[in-house]
Amino acid sequence: MQSTELSIENIRKDFPILKRKVRDNKPLVYLDNASTTQKPKQVIDALTNYYSNYNANIHRSVYSIAEEATEAYEKVRDKVAKFLNISKREEIIFVRGTTEGINLVAYAWGRKYIKEGDIIVTTEYEHHSNIVPWQLLVKEKGAKLEYIEINDNGELILDQLDKYLATGKVKLVVFSLMSNVLGTISDAEKIISKCHEAGVKTLVDAAQAVPHMSVDVAKLGCDFFAFSAHKMLGPTGIGVLWVRKSVLETMDPFHGGGDMIREVHKYETTWNDLPYKFEAGTPNIADVIGFGSAIDYLSQLGMETVRKHEMELTQYALDKMSQIKGIVIYGPKDVSKRGGVISFNFHDVHPHDVATIIDREGIAIRSGHHCAQVLMEKLDVAATNRASFYIYNTKQDVDKLIQSLEKVSELFKL
Amino acid sequence: MSDPIYTEIIIDEARHPQNEGTLENPDISQHDSNPMCGDSITLQMNVTDDSINDIKWSGEGCTICKACTSVLTQLIKGKNIDFAKNMKKEEILSELGLEYLAKQSPVRIKCALLSMKALKLGLYSYLAKKLAGSLSLDNLKEDAANLY
Ligand SMILES: Cc1ncc(COP(=O)(O)O)c(C=O)c1O
Repeated sequence: MQSTELSIENIRKDFPILKRKVRDNKPLVYLDNASTTQKPKQVIDALTNYYSNYNANIHRSVYSIAEEATEAYEKVRDKVAKFLNISKREEIIFVRGTTEGINLVAYAWGRKYIKEGDIIVTTEYEHHSNIVPWQLLVKEKGAKLEYIEINDNGELILDQLDKYLATGKVKLVVFSLMSNVLGTISDAEKIISKCHEAGVKTLVDAAQAVPHMSVDVAKLGCDFFAFSAHKMLGPTGIGVLWVRKSVLETMDPFHGGGDMIREVHKYETTWNDLPYKFEAGTPNIADVIGFGSAIDYLSQLGMETVRKHEMELTQYALDKMSQIKGIVIYGPKDVSKRGGVISFNFHDVHPHDVATIIDREGIAIRSGHHCAQVLMEKLDVAATNRASFYIYNTKQDVDKLIQSLEKVSELFKL
Repeated sequence: MSDPIYTEIIIDEARHPQNEGTLENPDISQHDSNPMCGDSITLQMNVTDDSINDIKWSGEGCTICKACTSVLTQLIKGKNIDFAKNMKKEEILSELGLEYLAKQSPVRIKCALLSMKALKLGLYSYLAKKLAGSLSLDNLKEDAANLY
């Protein structure tokens, strides 16, 4: 039985780093979860256990520990499938992370199918990883990149998508399911159904969505879907690219090498089956196994429960923060339309100054452009502060953040 | 309340920075930015008889970046190119009591030295054009590259 309330106290005990003191013995208040999350001991133990007890290369050898390693690695593919309601395990490709997943699509699908004059549509609130690979591709092909803009509430203006689709030149629409700066949850259903009608493929950057809400890939109906393990309690250096099988079958390989081949002759090679055709070389075995433990951990809590906790915390933070003089908060105000990511500016104090000053209180928030300079330009700011929550954060964490802003006020005589 | 970095001098200097603006037809114009944090400034200079007779800066930056840029421009204005060329980072840092910044925050040292980097790169381009092929550029380019 999953409970609908998180026992934060118990959860916190699973995260060794939360016992850490920083700067003059202050407890760490970690509010940079949109960047990367902390790891529970279950994940750390899974890594150690693999290296201590059955470290071996996979898919190659018949001895016992190699079989154990292969089985553990492949089991995680099934866990991913179950977690996201994916019926075909061969559609799941392990990659380094969201960035590599998107680049794989740009390279192995985009270079084959994007032609001169074609249009790729992205949005103003994308992470650089969902902009730059497309810029490279359209430059190479003589195609064009267009943007769906955002309104004052930080939501996509979807009418603009109609305008682009009407040209008949759009081949691909890419968007993040949740903005890593504004927290906005995209209306994926609407975007994807519009694209379906127009016969246009869709790519979903789910780096911020999968860790924080329940996602059903089958229901979503997109063609490409990417996310990173490290933002959902898992290790760095591992992520997933899911591609609809009918599309994946038409794609050329990304990297050539071991594991992705069936037969190699001097001048000809035949490819391995899916998904192995796209997993060249020795993969990141340990981190895939660690990722499996992260999925177990989240599954046990239940993603609905995770989402509920974050909505409560976000509501609490928005209520408290909006009372502070001189604070500007970006993104939707309605917590049902946003995730637990709060970007803000405080008077005219540069976010780097804010982050440095509150770091002395042990509070870790991100300051900067969050790899979203197109969005920064739109908001007409050089940078923002960003606090982002996860399952181990508490209302006290929010209170500490707010108290620490008072120190900024004092120093800057605001 | 006191803070090792955010002293009154720095906050005041950043609040009321000197030499902010742009020049009409600068002899030197150099832009640089810190990809990590979004500090982004342009330094412009006019040179007459090897002397930097005017200098302005424009752009966006944090308190540390603005304060250091302001101080740098004040130290440079009216000085000889050689003086600017040979300037050491310690001269800027000590002016604002930031000698230990590199230790306190290796990340933020980049904010402090961004304008100096722009200065050195700007002088490099200017002198390179002027003295193409000459050896008197010293280690200006490496110096800029190795600031932090
Ligand atoms: C929305 C979004 N997309 C993509 C990425 C890139 O993920 P990674 O760095 O794990 O490849 C991030 C991470 O910051 C993100 O927030």
